[in-house]
Order: sequence, then structure tokens, then C-alpha cells
Amino acid sequence: MINPYIKRAFSDLKRNLMTQMMTTAVVALSVLIFIFFYFIYLNLQHVAEIFGAELGPVVFLKKDVPAGRIPDIYQKLIKLPGVEAVNYVSPEDAMNRLKTFLKDEKDVLEGVDPDFLPPSFELKITPAFRDIGNISSMAGRIDKWPEVYSVRYGQEWIGGLEAFIRVFRIIVVISAFFLLLTAAFVVSSTIRLALYARKEEIEILHLVGATRMFIQTPFIIQAFSQGLVGSSMAAGIVFFCYLYIKNIVAQFTLLGGIGLYFLPWPHIVSIIAISACVCAVWTAFVIRKSLVQ
Amino acid sequence: MTNLNKIAIINMEGVSKRYLPDTLALYDVHLHITKGEFVFLTGPSGSGKTTLLRLLFCAEKPSVGEIWLDGMALSSITPSQLPYLRRKIGVVFQDFKLLERHSVFENVALSLEVTGLTGGHIEKRVKQIIERVGLGDKIKRFPPQLSEGERQRVAIARAVANRPQIILADEPTGNLDRPRAKEVLSILEELNAEGTTIICATHDERLYERGYKRTLRLYDGILNSP
Ligand SMILES: Nc1ncnc2c1ncn2[C@@H]1O[C@H](COP(=O)(O)OP(=O)(O)OP(=O)(O)O)[C@@H](O)[C@H]1O
Ligand SMILES: [Mg+2]
Repeated sequence: MINPYIKRAFSDLKRNLMTQMMTTAVVALSVLIFIFFYFIYLNLQHVAEIFGAELGPVVFLKKDVPAGRIPDIYQKLIKLPGVEAVNYVSPEDAMNRLKTFLKDEKDVLEGVDPDFLPPSFELKITPAFRDIGNISSMAGRIDKWPEVYSVRYGQEWIGGLEAFIRVFRIIVVISAFFLLLTAAFVVSSTIRLALYARKEEIEILHLVGATRMFIQTPFIIQAFSQGLVGSSMAAGIVFFCYLYIKNIVAQFTLLGGIGLYFLPWPHIVSIIAISACVCAVWTAFVIRKSLVQ
Repeated sequence: MTNLNKIAIINMEGVSKRYLPDTLALYDVHLHITKGEFVFLTGPSGSGKTTLLRLLFCAEKPSVGEIWLDGMALSSITPSQLPYLRRKIGVVFQDFKLLERHSVFENVALSLEVTGLTGGHIEKRVKQIIERVGLGDKIKRFPPQLSEGERQRVAIARAVANRPQIILADEPTGNLDRPRAKEVLSILEELNAEGTTIICATHDERLYERGYKRTLRLYDGILNSP
């Protein structure tokens, strides 16, 4: 029963190839813009997460703190609520890191006293506690300890990034809404045009005893496949852009730790399925409204 | 009247059809046609022949009166029942109403496809009917590539393809020469012999002049039934 419907839908699709391709292209473009925004959003969120985790507060000690005090301070820090791990970085460790970072230019450090860098503690914060408000008040308290020279944390730009991501999320949702509206509008006007162009044909179908189901099913199958093909194309384009950008990003060693992430496959599948269903349901709705004799 | 309803496959009682603003196409028509009858419907151009047929397959609603088809009152037909009613009726339209962008085969197959039959089952039957109307060599053509007479024969093939109980033929020989017209008539007579009820609207005297079939005459929307 379903087979002849599909056959009719596709022989019809061939007859009106140009219009069908235009509609598919519009669907593809709309979904493309959405997936692209979503892709950027997910990656920004990822960056914020990585840095939120890695750039926990760093506690710099005064240079004159005796080595015997270090374990005490370590114990005090690890007992703070929200602290998951504490890592001690001695002046020598800090110097070695600096040398690794400078690589070929490490000669500039020749003769520099390794003690010129202060000893420090790097704190790792539990995910639940990772909030700018929490971290800044914690940093404020640690800063008052007599042994502490200063506390640094990535408040400024991580906070800024997170605020930006929140705004961006709203943009993604709003753009999804408008793109859905645009796609729906285009799909329904092509359907109306198709119905209008084939008014006579549809009248004849009615006269020879076709049910409404018989008349509308090919249109719905077409819309479904347009949604399917259009959104798959969009996902494919973003995927290839992703592969391309990923290669470029990989060349910057400084950004090496960040990496680039594509949308998770379940999200891709849902976006494609939702696009196809929205096109089909919307078409059924438009036909229902225009086919009432 | 109730007795008549039982044997009549088509029954019109006091049917009038008014087209806005001021055309009275049919006036107070009473018509009973029994199962298996072959009836000619004649009358001058504009007398209401097409209108009467359109009322029968529910393309129009009567302004006054009631029509029963196979015992079913047409005024009580719901939109979802309508397709099933129409499948019982094969119509040869005066203007053919063929699908221009579909081949001869597809046009004829359509009346079977709408009933849910699929390709394999219908192919043989469709080809057979197209042969019968003499278009076997033009099965892949499209209506614009056919002559008027050929298109008319496609319309006839489509109307008879799903073996309907009733055939309403509106000028089915209007564009045909004498041999072709006779052939169309013989197709209709064959179907009639198998039990199909046939109403054939025409002003082609060649068809009904021999007078051995019931002939209804319409004048200005008024039916003089013998
Ligand atoms: N849709 C319509 N709207 C208004 N008037 C109509 C309509 N259809 C038919 N008429 C009028 O109704 C009358 C009967 O028309 P109809 O088509 O039934 O005639 P007919 O007997 O089939 O003529 P012909 O032999 O030329 O086909 C005519 O006067 C025609 O002008
Ligand atoms: Mg007529």
C-alpha cells in the first residue's frame, strides 16, 4: 500500500525537479545556519568548561615562607569546601615549565636565579563548585592568609566567556525559531504553488474517486524527503567545515589543549529527524487547509 | 416511490438546479433508471445534459429535490464517503479531463490506482482496455500528443477501467468519425450486456436514431421522458 505512494511521490518529484531542488536548498540553508550556530555554541561551551576546570585558582606564596610551612598550607587548602585537588609548584618546577614553554628561546633564562619565581599551589575545583561567585569569594578568603602573596584565577575572561555563552544560547534558540519559521513559510508557499499549479490534476483525482489520503500522501512524502535531504546536506557541510578548521587549529600548539568538537551524533540524528518531520507535518497541515473543497 | 427506489439504480425526484445568478439549468426532473439499463440523454446544446450528469456524480448539488444512487440519498453523502461513491461511477467527461503530464497508460491506470490496486495487478487490464479502444501503439504518449478523437478514447478507457456499476458518458463520440463512434458505442453496449448501467448524453443522432433504446429528451432543463 505504501509502495505505490512512494513511487508516485518520486515520479512526481522528477517532474518538478527544479522547484523541489529549490525547496530542498532553502531547507538545507536554514538547517545549516542553525547547525553552525549550535556548533559554535557547543565549542565555546567546551572551551569554557576546559578552562573552568584547568584554570582553577593559583595561590602564590610569599618568597620568605619557610619550606616547613608548605605541608600545613597544603592541608589547609585541601580542606576547603569545593577543592578537589591541590598541586604544589616549587620555584624549580615553575622554572622548568617556563623553559619548556620557551623551547628554543630558553637561553634568555640563562643565569637567572630559579628562586625569582614564587612557590605556588594550583587548586582544582569540584565541578559543582565551579562558579565565578564561589571561586572569587574563596580567593578573597585565601588572599587574607599571612603566607599568601596573591591569588589569581581566570575570573575576568572566563566570566566574560560564560556571559557571552549565555547570550549566545539565546541567539541559538531565537535563530532556530526564526529559521524554522522561514523554512515553514518557504515549504508551505511551494506547496501552495504546487497545489495551485496542479489544481486541475487534483480536481480530476477527486472526480475519479481518489481519497484525500491518496492525493496528499505524495506531497507529504516529498516534504519529508526534502527535510531529510536538506538537513543531511547541512550537517554534511558543517562536518566538512569542522574537519577543515580542525586541521588548522591543530597547527597552533598553543590551542592544542582545546581541540574542536563536532556535534554529538545523537544531536545530528535528532536535528535531521526533526527537520524531516517538521516539513512533513507542516505540509500535511497546509494541504489540509487548502484542500478543503 | 419506495418500490421504485428498490429496483432503480438512479432515482431523481423533483430535482432542479439553479446556477447563480439566474440560470435554471434543470427544472423539476423526475427520473428513474433501473439496473442494467442503457439510456440516451439528448437535447440541444445548453439544455442541461451535462448538468444532469454532474448532479449524479456529486460534482454539483441539486438546488431542490433529492437523488438516490443505488438506494443511497446523495444529500446524505459525507466528504469521506464521496470517493467510494465515485468509484462506482465511470465518467467520460465532455472535456475529457485527462492528466496532461501523465502518459495514456498512467491516465487509464489512475482509476484503478485510486482504489488501492498496485502496478502488477492492473498492468494487464489497463493494456487490454487501451488495445480495445484502438490506442495500443500510443500507450506511452501524453495527451497533448494525441488528436481530439484519441483523447476521447483515452477518457473512455479510463471510465471503464475499474468496471464501474454505472457509466455516465458525456458526448463520448463528439469528435469521432462514424466507424470510431460505432466502436465506442459497441464498447458501451458490451459493458451494458455485462450488467453495467449506462447513461449516454449526446446530440449525435447516429447513435439513437435507430430508436431501440430508451431516449430521454431535455429542453431548457425540462425532461420529457417517454
Ligand atoms: N457552472 C455553471 N455556472 C453557471 N451556469 C452554468 C454552469 N454550467 C452550466 N451552466 C448553464 O446551464 C445550462 C445547461 O448547461 P449544460 O452544460 O448542462 O448544457 P448541455 O446540455 O450539456 O450543453 P452541451 O450540449 O453544449 O454540452 C446552460 O445554460 C449553461 O450556460
Ligand atoms: Mg454538455
